[in-house]
Amino acid sequence: MTLVLLDTNAYLRLAKRVRPLLGKKFGQKDYVLTVLRDVEDEVQRSPRLRHDYPWFEAVNLANERLAHSLRLSAPERATLDAAASVLHGLVQMDPARFMTQRRSPPSYTDCRVLAFGQIRPAIVVTDDLGMHELASMVGIEGLWHGPELLKKMLGAKLIDNDLVREIYAALEVNNDLTATWVAAKHSTFVKVFGKTPD
Amino acid sequence: MHKVIHSESIKAALASRGWSQEQLAAAIGESPQVVSHWLQGKHFPRPEKLLKLATTLALGFDQLVLPDANQPIIAFRKKAGANTTDKHLAKARAMAELLKPLVDYLPERRALHTSLSSASTHYVQLQNAVAQVRVKLGVGAQAVLGYELLIREFKDNDAVLVPVLWGEKQNHKNALHILLPDQRVTFVYLNLDTHLEDFKFWMAHELAHVYTPELAGSNEGEDFADAFAGALLFPQACAEVVYAQATQARGKQAVLNTLLTHAGTHAISLYTVFRQVKNFAHAKGLEPLQLSDAEIHAVRNSQRHGLVSEALFKPMPPHAEGLIAITANLFFSDFFVALKTMLVERGTGPGYVQQILDMGLQDATALHHALVGGPVH
Repeated sequence: MTLVLLDTNAYLRLAKRVRPLLGKKFGQKDYVLTVLRDVEDEVQRSPRLRHDYPWFEAVNLANERLAHSLRLSAPERATLDAAASVLHGLVQMDPARFMTQRRSPPSYTDCRVLAFGQIRPAIVVTDDLGMHELASMVGIEGLWHGPELLKKMLGAKLIDNDLVREIYAALEVNNDLTATWVAAKHSTFVKVFGKTPD
Repeated sequence: MHKVIHSESIKAALASRGWSQEQLAAAIGESPQVVSHWLQGKHFPRPEKLLKLATTLALGFDQLVLPDANQPIIAFRKKAGANTTDKHLAKARAMAELLKPLVDYLPERRALHTSLSSASTHYVQLQNAVAQVRVKLGVGAQAVLGYELLIREFKDNDAVLVPVLWGEKQNHKNALHILLPDQRVTFVYLNLDTHLEDFKFWMAHELAHVYTPELAGSNEGEDFADAFAGALLFPQACAEVVYAQATQARGKQAVLNTLLTHAGTHAISLYTVFRQVKNFAHAKGLEPLQLSDAEIHAVRNSQRHGLVSEALFKPMPPHAEGLIAITANLFFSDFFVALKTMLVERGTGPGYVQQILDMGLQDATALHHALVGGPVH
């Protein structure tokens, strides 16, 4: 089994339409999607996120998160906190490094997601370009953009072309189509959307 | 920035594990000589090795790396009953580090800043200090001190005002002061979701921090800022008049009405007026007013005015463009002008806006879009 950890935005982009999402094995490497409890905290803390994603509170989704969120032991939590703190400290030492090409310096919450790979073998899914830059800075491997995950799910027949179209349409309507999703539309998903229109 | 490893903390962690430096070196895949150089402060580990040190010893960044000599100075104007935790401080420090790149885009700093030679809360010394400040601002001893003079004073002292909407109750602070000593710039965050009658007091409180940068972030600094704000907004000359009127008034309600009238005229809270009159009476050895703090708070809480944000933006919540316009046109702050220039020039994403303004990503994305245009992401 290969754990695949979604950050909050990656979760929110998929969880409404890909059902079930968490805890289900797929692909040759038995990928299993999961989230940290931080996702729950981040959404509960933000009136705007609660407003924009009202389905987040739905019983079936809440139960799924409860059943498949990661539970960490005390030593794992200590290591996660230490790693996240150092990752965030490195960002603060040179924030300008993360402030070009539509990137932003990763927040502490972002750093906690990235730090997870330091305590358990896992792939982290995030569309945050600053997190990808930070991962490359400290040599963390196994970081996917959202479309890479979607491609794996499509390849494993966990989803079909129609659902990919539906997810893209929803992201466009919500003004939530990040640069990597835009770039992937006519490259990674050329069989779904065709080549880039002239 | 030259960083140095916190060798004492690491040596203590090794001692508690019964490890040698050689064992640590083996655990993190480094030579003992390199580890020795880190601990002597000769070299600093590469990012991946610093991360390895953290996960091996379960030590956070502050335990692994010595703080800079000129760290940002943070002061909160907390809400009543709120406690400032390490988490709040860490978040504010992170905001401070992220603000540093923005400083390059602010107007050139002035060579001279106003500072107070004495930060005493002793009545006579405090009244002398606020009298001089009032003279400097060009406002008479009994005159109402307007917002525009306070705002100008922030600008003249390179304090960048940052109006924010942090909610009336959700956030633990009503104002946040971040001083970057190396850059000689102060960022003053003012929460507009505060009651009208309290807002001027908080601005004056923050101005005290600007005048006494060496005290910002300390309890002494907070005590002085509170005392200074009350005295600046309602100095001895005002308190003396009210005391005379209040002692002529018959009954508690008449005394309260006198205080309320002056509070309304000065656009400050009933409690500020009461407190200044009380301080005046005490300093002069006069009989105190026959009202208690509890009675004043009860009246004040029952007669709350609206929020500054409502007065400015109704209907709420405001559009991002509204906040940007108010910041420039009412608070005469260069904050969003500098931010816009930086975002466009560097191509920085909305997550930066989210973090330096301590707001939700959706709001930050809207603000980012309003500043730079183009696609949302």
